[in-house]
Amino acid sequence: MHYEAVKTDFFTRKAAVLMALMAAGGFAFLARFGLGLGETTNLSNNYPWGLWIVFDLVWIALAGGAFVTAGIVYIFMGEDFHRLARPAVWMGFLSYSFVVVTLLADLGLPWHFWQLGIQRPEHSAMYEVSWCVSLYVTILGLEFAPTVFERFGWDKLKDLWRAWSPVYTVIALALFTYLMSHKIWMAALSLVLFAIITFLTRDSGKHSGVPVILIIAAVTFSTMHQSSLGSLFLLMPDKLSHLWWSPLMSLLFFLSAVASGIALVMLMDMLVSYFFDRPFNWAMLGKMGKILWAALAIYYGIKIVDLGARGELGLALVGSNGVLFLIEVIGGGLIPLILLSTQKLRSNKNLLVPGTVLALLGVIFNRLNTVLLGMTLPGTQPGGLVGTYHPSMVEWTLAISLISAAFFFFALGVKFLPILPKVEETN
Amino acid sequence: MSLAVMIDTTKCIGCRSCQVACKQWNGLPAEVTELEGRSTGFQNPPALSAKTLTLVSFREIADQAAPSGLKMVFAKRQCMHCQDPACASACPVTALHKTKEGPVTYDSAKCMGCRYCIWACPFGVPTADWDSLAPKIHKCTMCFNRVEQAETPKTLNDQPLLPEAQERFLAGAAKPACVKACTTGALRFGERDQLLAEARQRIGSAPGKYVPHIYGEKEVGGTSVLYLSSVPFEKLGFRTDLGERSYPGYSKIPLEIVSPAVMGMGGLLAAVYLIKRRKALVAGSAEPGKKE
Repeated sequence: MHYEAVKTDFFTRKAAVLMALMAAGGFAFLARFGLGLGETTNLSNNYPWGLWIVFDLVWIALAGGAFVTAGIVYIFMGEDFHRLARPAVWMGFLSYSFVVVTLLADLGLPWHFWQLGIQRPEHSAMYEVSWCVSLYVTILGLEFAPTVFERFGWDKLKDLWRAWSPVYTVIALALFTYLMSHKIWMAALSLVLFAIITFLTRDSGKHSGVPVILIIAAVTFSTMHQSSLGSLFLLMPDKLSHLWWSPLMSLLFFLSAVASGIALVMLMDMLVSYFFDRPFNWAMLGKMGKILWAALAIYYGIKIVDLGARGELGLALVGSNGVLFLIEVIGGGLIPLILLSTQKLRSNKNLLVPGTVLALLGVIFNRLNTVLLGMTLPGTQPGGLVGTYHPSMVEWTLAISLISAAFFFFALGVKFLPILPKVEETN
Repeated sequence: MSLAVMIDTTKCIGCRSCQVACKQWNGLPAEVTELEGRSTGFQNPPALSAKTLTLVSFREIADQAAPSGLKMVFAKRQCMHCQDPACASACPVTALHKTKEGPVTYDSAKCMGCRYCIWACPFGVPTADWDSLAPKIHKCTMCFNRVEQAETPKTLNDQPLLPEAQERFLAGAAKPACVKACTTGALRFGERDQLLAEARQRIGSAPGKYVPHIYGEKEVGGTSVLYLSSVPFEKLGFRTDLGERSYPGYSKIPLEIVSPAVMGMGGLLAAVYLIKRRKALVAGSAEPGKKE
């Protein structure tokens, strides 16, 4: 497959709007550090996590599109979807980078982040997520690197990358195994296993451009932190409604990230075609819609069976939590499952587009419910004064500006780097 | 060895000496508050905060035997020092730590300020100092390092301090500041097992005075603060829906399988790739990904 930078004006009116929003976000970021969290956000002891955490959880789930696409294309060899791989990885790299920016703003003492490198907590999901996301960002960077090398004709760097990125990847996987188990033998086993895999798949880089061990690491790291984001909430069985709290939350977070990731990549492809005035790829999107249907069916199937097995189905019929849950499951699950159920329906773009969007919104709503709406907060001891939470101007501004930044840099990459396939090859 | 505090709320008169002693020992500022017209009456301030690590909760409950038909019940509230604390399990940098002696301590030099501990605590205890540009977490540490920090004075009123007085001082410093300050003996500091035995003995010897429940014996896997009460604990405003299982137990399993899962997932993906490549070769198609 051959790629090209899209030749179009760099500075458009849309770019100007995005840059203005980014500038506003820059001020919000400065305000947060100049005036403090308490002054600039509406977070409190009762609502210690707010918009930014919802935003991070949503964005990480959507950015799951990067690992799902890479896995489909390079491991399951879904050649039909090859065109999605580079933009998906670029989208993922930007998403994770901006999530880290949000986290910097959200952490009270971000300059202590290096403590993650020297402390060894035993069963902290936050520690798992921190390490896993950090390592995954480096893998995403390595996955994307050849695009930059090609643009500037840095062949020597590309050779270096091809030779050494698998070595780095194997070490990263072994290091992660050690950090999560505290066991040297486990790390050694992991090192040996991934070295063997690298050896067995050593030709892959020459053929497809990306050594497959990078993709294996990308999918593995993603599986781990997507599920551990669910594990974060396992400590709150007393606060989170049991419509969402479940011992299987880790699995459900992973499965929903797969579904929303696919939906986001489909939407990304549609938006790229729309904004860059390129032909739409409805046939390919229809095929992806089939995968999305399967991902949704597995996710919502397990979700409902789990709810039934725990004997909590009745909760869906009572109270405001029941309403939220039904909106999530019917709007984000049932309707897309109907809209995307057959080949005929999927080939109708008037059904495919809403089906995709609804699938995406369902997972977004799930994260919102999990972090805020489905929580019953007891408040700080002795309790009784919980009140409500509305994100502040600074919280909204930073969140919106980072979404703007993601769109801006995504377009910038598409305009300057060989990310999209050449148009004549797109059918 | 596991230290604990027993709080016999039937002996508490709501004098708040413990609250003052805690502020004094930890060097915490006062809070500007106002009396609230709620059922909490004279309780002040309304909740724990970065400035108030312990407070006495006030509740008025209906009681026919009381002269006014209302009875005041008090309970000193602070960190429960769980046996298996959710906050310490949540903490990604071990800033919160369950010591083998019993107290759950906090080290601000490690803390990143993620506030997961505030979310995770089933008792609503850790708080952040939101006014600060570097919002650290604050909570009771059972005066973990009080003995080391206490400097025995050499003189008293310009007279050399007598050895007995020095011993008394050290004995006081060996207890948490709140326990030392308690005027009625409502607070007891000691070995958890012994305190539990004493609590059972108190309930057994005065039936009718206490509800037959030691709050903290089993809640969320047990805590290092134990409460006795004359009224059901929900009337004191305690959560009675927390269960007896320790919270970190829920997230332990998925986190323990992460390392094996990394290898399993990696192996599985490699197998899929190799099989797919083999199939592609057998099918006689071009080498996989050759399109590149």
